[in-house]
Amino acid sequence: MARMLALTLGLLMGLWTASAPAAPTDDAKAVVEKLHDTLLNAMKDAQKLGFKGRYALIEPALRTAFDFETISRIITGPHWKTLNDAQHLKFIDVFTKLSIATYANNFDGFSGEHFETASSEEKRGNMLVKTFLVKSDGKKVDLNYVLQKHGDAWQIVNVVAEGVSDLSLKRADYTAVIGSEGFDSLIAKLNEKIASYESGSK
Amino acid sequence: MRHMRTTALMLALAGVALLSGCASNGAKNDNNDPYESVNRKMYNFNDVLDKNFFQPVARGYVKVTPDPVRSGVTNFFDNLGYLNVITNDLLQGKMKQTALDSSRFVVNSTVGIGGLFDPATGFGLASHDEDLGQTFGVWGAGEGAYLVLPLLGPNSFRDAPNLASSMLLNPLTWINSVVTIPLGVLNAVNTRANLLEATNIRDQAALDPYTFVREAYRQQREFKIYDGNPPADENDEYNVDAKGDQSVLKIY
Repeated sequence: MARMLALTLGLLMGLWTASAPAAPTDDAKAVVEKLHDTLLNAMKDAQKLGFKGRYALIEPALRTAFDFETISRIITGPHWKTLNDAQHLKFIDVFTKLSIATYANNFDGFSGEHFETASSEEKRGNMLVKTFLVKSDGKKVDLNYVLQKHGDAWQIVNVVAEGVSDLSLKRADYTAVIGSEGFDSLIAKLNEKIASYESGSK
Repeated sequence: MRHMRTTALMLALAGVALLSGCASNGAKNDNNDPYESVNRKMYNFNDVLDKNFFQPVARGYVKVTPDPVRSGVTNFFDNLGYLNVITNDLLQGKMKQTALDSSRFVVNSTVGIGGLFDPATGFGLASHDEDLGQTFGVWGAGEGAYLVLPLLGPNSFRDAPNLASSMLLNPLTWINSVVTIPLGVLNAVNTRANLLEATNIRDQAALDPYTFVREAYRQQREFKIYDGNPPADENDEYNVDAKGDQSVLKIY
């Protein structure tokens, strides 16, 4: 009897410890929260760091948190398949740099904002992490992240701000440019944007 | 009397627009923009006017108007537009929200001194955003072809009838034009000022601003129709390799 009890308890304990490692929802949440921490640091030290300093701070965080390859495949739409490997690498490289430069440019000051994580749920194999950017006056901006699992890690593939999907906007915009002016022109335009952030920012 | 007739005419036109909009809303996998060439011309026209006139005016207004005054102005016009929200709550069958929004309107019109302040939010009566286009969406109408209207910008055949209903249900429409016109100008400038942040993002991020705005408009409308929770199959767009090219085109 005592043995049965011990066995049952042991099994239960086993089950309990087996389920103890973080659930995927927590893993995904942690990725987003870590990114938010870095962004807040960039905002708080914005003046001291300057654009270059913020870029350096944000770069590793963004490269880890985002899956730029998947993002690149999606936002180039049907054109991805017609591009060769060198063009794929070129696009991923330029787009990644543009993303980092955009964050470094936009998170350029701090006025009492903070991030809040509302929930994390699985949706068709993806993870949806809902958060808010809370401004100092209490106004909340909806900021939802969609993450996919690659190997062991969850990575962000989309940011949806107030219902507007960044992926979808970029896809419409970029495929329009590839369609009318070609791939090289798209790359040239993205490089122009990067240059304007570098020269225009403090 | 003349008001009534104009409004009736506008509603009739809107009805025609809606029907033809539904009729032309065939393919789901395109960008819903059969009139793109005309729309682009209108977009460019609006853009020139905006950059040279409305934007500078709005920036000047932001510069000289203290933040609390601007939010008072925004509250005031939001409150006047609230009868349209309540009507559409009702049309969408949201009974609880109809009651809450009616209370909100009463509280802000009285305690909030004609809507200048928004005490209702503090009392737990949060603001809602409903309009006739959303109602048609809830009723199952398709998006309707995308439209760029002179001065007003992005719209669609489904959403345009709201211009008539919001006008009809706005108390300002029914009072003397000596009051209506200057207030209308203030509303326009204040509205443009509130959009400066959004247009800054557009100017910064967009390669083709026309496409960018169209996409943002369509998505935001979808988001509003579903009150912030669009259906889960939207996520299909992320499965790049799953279904080949078809899935790639899905969110168009």
